[in-house]
Amino acid sequence: MSIDWMKLLFALLGLFIVLNYGLLQYGIIRRITARIGKRIGMPVYQPYIDLIKNYAMRSQITHGVMYYLGPVFRLAGGVGVFMFMPLIFGSELWSNYSFSGDVILILYFIFFGMLGMALGASEGGHPYSFIGISRGLSQFTTVEVPFTLAVIAIAAQSGSFSITEIVAAQQGGIENWNIIANPFAGAAGLLAFLGMMMAAPFNVVQAPTEIPIGPPTEYHGTYLGMLQTNRAVLYIAEAILMVNLFFGGATNWVELLLKVFMVSMWPVFVGLVFPRFRIDQSIPWFLKIPLILGIIGIFMI
Amino acid sequence: MVNPVHIVSIGLAAAFLMSLAGKRQQNILAYFLMIAVGAMSFISLQWLMEIYSGGAGREVFTAGFKPPFAINLRMTMDEAVLTSIINIFGLFSIIYLFDTFKKANNHLLSIFIIYLMGLNVMVMTRDLFNLFVFLEIVAIATAGMMIMSSDKKGISAGFKFLIASSVISGLLLLGTLFGYTYTGTLNIDMMQALPLIKGGAVALFLIVVALVLETKPFPANGWALDLYTSANHGVGAMLSVLSAPAIMFVVYKMLPVIPQDWQLVISFFGIITFAASNYLAIRQENIRRMLGYSSVAQGGLLLATVGLADYLGGSFYFVALGFLLTNLFAKAGLFWLGGIVNSDNMNKWGILRKKPVLLLLFGIFAAALAGLPPFPAFFAKWELVMQLGAGEGWGWIAIMLIGSLFEIAFLFKWVGRVFKAENEENAPANFAMHKQIPALLLGAGIIAASYFFIDYLNFNLTFVLIPLLAIAAFFVIDYAPAFIKNILLIGALSFYGYMIYPELQGDIMKLVFAGIFLIGGVLTLFPGFSAKGARKGFYPFAAMTIFGLLMLVNPADNLTFFMGWELMALGSFILILRGKMAEKPAFRYMLFSAGGAYVMMAAFAMLNNISGAEFFGNINIPANTAGIIFALLAIAFMLKAAAIGLHIWLPGAYAEAEDDATPLVSGVLINSGVLGLVLLVTSFGPQTLFGYDILHIMGWIGAITAIGGNMLAIYEEDMKRLIAYSSVGAMGYIIFALAINTKLGLLIALYYTILHFIYKTMLFISAAGVMHRTKTRNMYEMGGLIKSMPLSFIVVLIGIITLAGMPPLAGFAGKWMFYNAIILKEWYIQGAMIFFSGIVAFLYLYKLISSVFLGQLKDNHRKVKEAPFYYIIPQLILVMAIMVLSVQPQWLMQPLSTIIPASFAGEALQWDGNLATLSTGYWNAFTIMSVVMAMFGILFLWLVYHSRKAQKVKQFNIVFAAEKPFRPETTHVSYNIFAAYKKALGWMVTPLATRFWERLSDIFTAIADKFRTWYTGNGQTYALHLLIYAFILYIAISGGKLL
Amino acid sequence: MEQYLTLQNIGIATGFALILIGLYGGLTNKNILRIIVSFTIFNSGLNIVIVALAYLKGRVAPIIDDTTGLDNLSQKFVDPVPQALVLTAIVIGLGVTGVMLAYALKMYQNKQTLNINDFKETKW
Repeated sequence: MSIDWMKLLFALLGLFIVLNYGLLQYGIIRRITARIGKRIGMPVYQPYIDLIKNYAMRSQITHGVMYYLGPVFRLAGGVGVFMFMPLIFGSELWSNYSFSGDVILILYFIFFGMLGMALGASEGGHPYSFIGISRGLSQFTTVEVPFTLAVIAIAAQSGSFSITEIVAAQQGGIENWNIIANPFAGAAGLLAFLGMMMAAPFNVVQAPTEIPIGPPTEYHGTYLGMLQTNRAVLYIAEAILMVNLFFGGATNWVELLLKVFMVSMWPVFVGLVFPRFRIDQSIPWFLKIPLILGIIGIFMI
Repeated sequence: MVNPVHIVSIGLAAAFLMSLAGKRQQNILAYFLMIAVGAMSFISLQWLMEIYSGGAGREVFTAGFKPPFAINLRMTMDEAVLTSIINIFGLFSIIYLFDTFKKANNHLLSIFIIYLMGLNVMVMTRDLFNLFVFLEIVAIATAGMMIMSSDKKGISAGFKFLIASSVISGLLLLGTLFGYTYTGTLNIDMMQALPLIKGGAVALFLIVVALVLETKPFPANGWALDLYTSANHGVGAMLSVLSAPAIMFVVYKMLPVIPQDWQLVISFFGIITFAASNYLAIRQENIRRMLGYSSVAQGGLLLATVGLADYLGGSFYFVALGFLLTNLFAKAGLFWLGGIVNSDNMNKWGILRKKPVLLLLFGIFAAALAGLPPFPAFFAKWELVMQLGAGEGWGWIAIMLIGSLFEIAFLFKWVGRVFKAENEENAPANFAMHKQIPALLLGAGIIAASYFFIDYLNFNLTFVLIPLLAIAAFFVIDYAPAFIKNILLIGALSFYGYMIYPELQGDIMKLVFAGIFLIGGVLTLFPGFSAKGARKGFYPFAAMTIFGLLMLVNPADNLTFFMGWELMALGSFILILRGKMAEKPAFRYMLFSAGGAYVMMAAFAMLNNISGAEFFGNINIPANTAGIIFALLAIAFMLKAAAIGLHIWLPGAYAEAEDDATPLVSGVLINSGVLGLVLLVTSFGPQTLFGYDILHIMGWIGAITAIGGNMLAIYEEDMKRLIAYSSVGAMGYIIFALAINTKLGLLIALYYTILHFIYKTMLFISAAGVMHRTKTRNMYEMGGLIKSMPLSFIVVLIGIITLAGMPPLAGFAGKWMFYNAIILKEWYIQGAMIFFSGIVAFLYLYKLISSVFLGQLKDNHRKVKEAPFYYIIPQLILVMAIMVLSVQPQWLMQPLSTIIPASFAGEALQWDGNLATLSTGYWNAFTIMSVVMAMFGILFLWLVYHSRKAQKVKQFNIVFAAEKPFRPETTHVSYNIFAAYKKALGWMVTPLATRFWERLSDIFTAIADKFRTWYTGNGQTYALHLLIYAFILYIAISGGKLL
Repeated sequence: MEQYLTLQNIGIATGFALILIGLYGGLTNKNILRIIVSFTIFNSGLNIVIVALAYLKGRVAPIIDDTTGLDNLSQKFVDPVPQALVLTAIVIGLGVTGVMLAYALKMYQNKQTLNINDFKETKW
């Protein structure tokens, strides 16, 4: 099998854009959060500084092979989600490796990183890692329920799981966007997105106060750098998924990044307004209103 | 040819001589008795040979007159067989009771031979009054034996027996005399007109009711039960296997006189006796009484068969002989083993384990009695049910099968006890040789009988007889070392595969399942190489399980399939029972297996009625019937596949089996249910029951099973139970996929079956290796094993990635197809449930791998080594299979696609190189793998480069709030790790099914407990029962209009 | 009414009455010896019924002597078969009674009582 170098180049270029955008956006979000809290907040370029600092750390430790591989899994998962995602509608070059699989591939590839991270963190052997992971996985199971329903509803509507097809079906005006065409599925998807982003009120997984940063407790240096890189990429990649599924996709980079920014703000603002759920509250929460919305969404087809 | 009347003369002469002999020289007298009974046996055997080789029978006219002026005896095939049985068994009994006979006085010896002689005459005579006389002689002899051979309990039981037999014989005498008055004859063959004569019917009824009462029908059989309970084991055996068949034969002789509709009523009462007695037996703890109930039940079955003799026609002898021989060998064998164990307490029976041969005998007798293959009762029961089905006697079948289920219940509870009960020091057992040898002869007898039945049925050589022979061979060589047996079994399976391959070549479906069973069998046997010693009792049953499974693959007829099914159930039951704490789970497994099997049997009876014996022959069946058959078979198969509600046997059974037997019974065996479901769905197509689409219901069952199984798994701390529950979940997927019933759905089911087989076998073997090294099953007692068992870790990692359906491994293909199939079928809600369950699976998968391999290593595991080599080999082979499938799934899926019938709805998966497409989506395993591998590789190198100086630190060197944890136990978070989840969604795992079944079983035993108080122990009450029974039978037969 | 009061019918009625009395006694008496006696009565009743069934009006017992001569015996005798049978039945009845008495003895030796309610070791 020959490698399509052009494709690879564009994919890497896209990755570069998304990475930087992700870091910047993270800075902006932190800034907004701070302002709402009547603080000044860190500089917008702070994520860059953190990243460089972490990659440059000289002393590092390892707890074993799986611990070592954890961040690799995690980042490969994040990059993979990006790699299998078509970015710009109508552009062959900006469609990455989406010819390998459809939205199902992306849904399941998100797990790839999660599992690797969970295993790596577990080998660290820190109790907080275990607690964080068990919370994260538990919450994730129910988050996926409304999201799956929403995806099924939309796929059934468009007659395909192919993201390109789903986007194509939403072309020709805002009234064709799935968020308008099937508002219930859209609502279910957006609520589930809150959980996927693990923003408040669903941020008990990393719960900065009681269990310092949850699963990655034992990670530092380059490991942590890779996790931060992943956060930047995955955050944007998941937002792109939302854009593609519910907001009509994008025909150029400006539209894409704008829509991504808008979508990303949704968990931020919700998070600022609502306090955190306990884990046994957040798990069933997704099986209530979001689930009902998802089911209605399916019956709307 | 010696005149058969000499049986009588020898008996009488011997009896007289012995009573003259006085009380000296009991030894010699006992030998003399043996010679006399030997002579009687010789005569009857001689006639048997003569008639068997084509000779004529004989009518013996006593006193030189022909009937009706004198008594005549008849000796034909029937009588020759029965008298041979009676005399030879009598001979065995003498050996068995030799010590009793030596100690007892001469009267017991003469009574014994009188008893035998009386039975002989009962069988041979054609004269009603003569019959009455000898019935009374047998009764007196029985009472005599009771009074001389049993303890104090036996005395009162004997008295009750005498009361009952007085009442019964009074009825018989009255009937006989009125019969004589009406017909002017006492000869049975000349009485045909009796029911037609006015008033004659009443006389006949009296005779019939007396004979029926003699067969100890439920519920007028308290006297008989008490007799069995207190009789010496040898005497009990004779009562059960000689008296009862003799009286059955008397009923059989009377049949020409008894009107057809009466026969049916009698037969039905027999069936009720069978079911009810077996039912009451489940509550018994006293073994002899339990055997008594069982004897009564078998009597009921024989009576039912006899009553149906005309109906069964050509099959009558087959069925009757099957039940008769089983009762003869197995029941007597159990009684005699009882004499060896010498205790009525079930818990003392563990003593049999001291003598493996006796243990094997016990197993054979119990299985034979329970009607499991390859013993005669299995075939007889099958034939009887098929014949009843041909007459659409569904009620009969239902009662009979329910009775059989109860029979399994008490027999296998007992089997479990025998295998597991603690042995005490001062057990009263008596292993005298003269007791063991007759029991062994009975064992040989039942095996010989089985041989004749199998031979008679003309089974397929390759697919039935060779497997049976192979199983038998492993019983024979069970003394060899485990290593050799392992090689032999693997060799046998491989050779068998080589042998059947040409026959299955054209049929990929059969190849797939034969492959699963064979390869699975071989691979799961590999860990056995590291076992030490002879490992007695493992290989015969492993062979039975695997070859039983293989019989399911290419069955010529329904019987073959059912036989394979039962063999597999029996074999796996023993494999499970071998586990340390397995008694209760194994019992539960057996009960559920048997329940499923009998449901299946009922379905086959319906199927057989319409489309003949050929396996799933002509399926063009009227829609309603097809729906019922489909539903019954689906229940039976889903039971094996552990659909929710029917799953409660599974976790215990799989978890408590021996660690290296678990992969076989779970990963491999569970596919038998799938095989059945696949065959069912592909050959029947969608069916409806009362207007409901069965497949639609199955779809829901599948979805709920998937969620339920996975939900239950996440709260398990026991490694094997966790994987076992995960099997329940996987079966849910497969049931769901089959219920989708499209081309894609079937493909998913087949693909998942294979995949599940691979990863589950892998996981179980891996778990077995870990448990072998750590000596525990609780995951929270493990931890940090990745460093000492890296290969096992990798295998588990690959297993769980596959199970979770994550790309890039092969499991993703299944998930992807599921999504598409659901969109195409428009089963969105069920589909969402399936995906939810898939994600729930993450929780237990994480728990499985992290609790065991990651986290903190425990102090007592610091010296643990990698799993033994023989555990690793099969795992690696399976890992390779997964890897190949992950990159080139089309190598498997394209052949699978070819076996999907064109009649199935929906679109088929299209392949273009590595790219799979459907109208709804696409996926390319190869590019996914390439992209992931490239990314992973680059990032890995990047990390390696950056953290090249990373320092390895010690176990407790973690960021632990400025404290150093001092024990791994306090740091390893594993126990109840998903407590929050349980708090939030724990209601989903409310054990409704367990509660339901346990409540049900409680109710059943409670009712049985209440009902058995009907047998008050008071002889007068029993006599009253007889009269009431007579009255009820009178109403049932006549509707009150005989006069 | 007259025609029913034949010797045969009286015999049969008496027999059945005895049978019922015997059965009743057997089922209600608690003393084992009384039960045995009741069954003896039951048996006697049976035997009477048998003999009565064989009775034919105006005929004599089947014994050849001077009064019967040798001709047409089948017209003169009552049915001889039940007569023969009843002998056997009596013998058997005696045997059963004997065994029952043996049991009664043993039971009394075991428990020093003859109340049948005390012999319920085996039940359920």
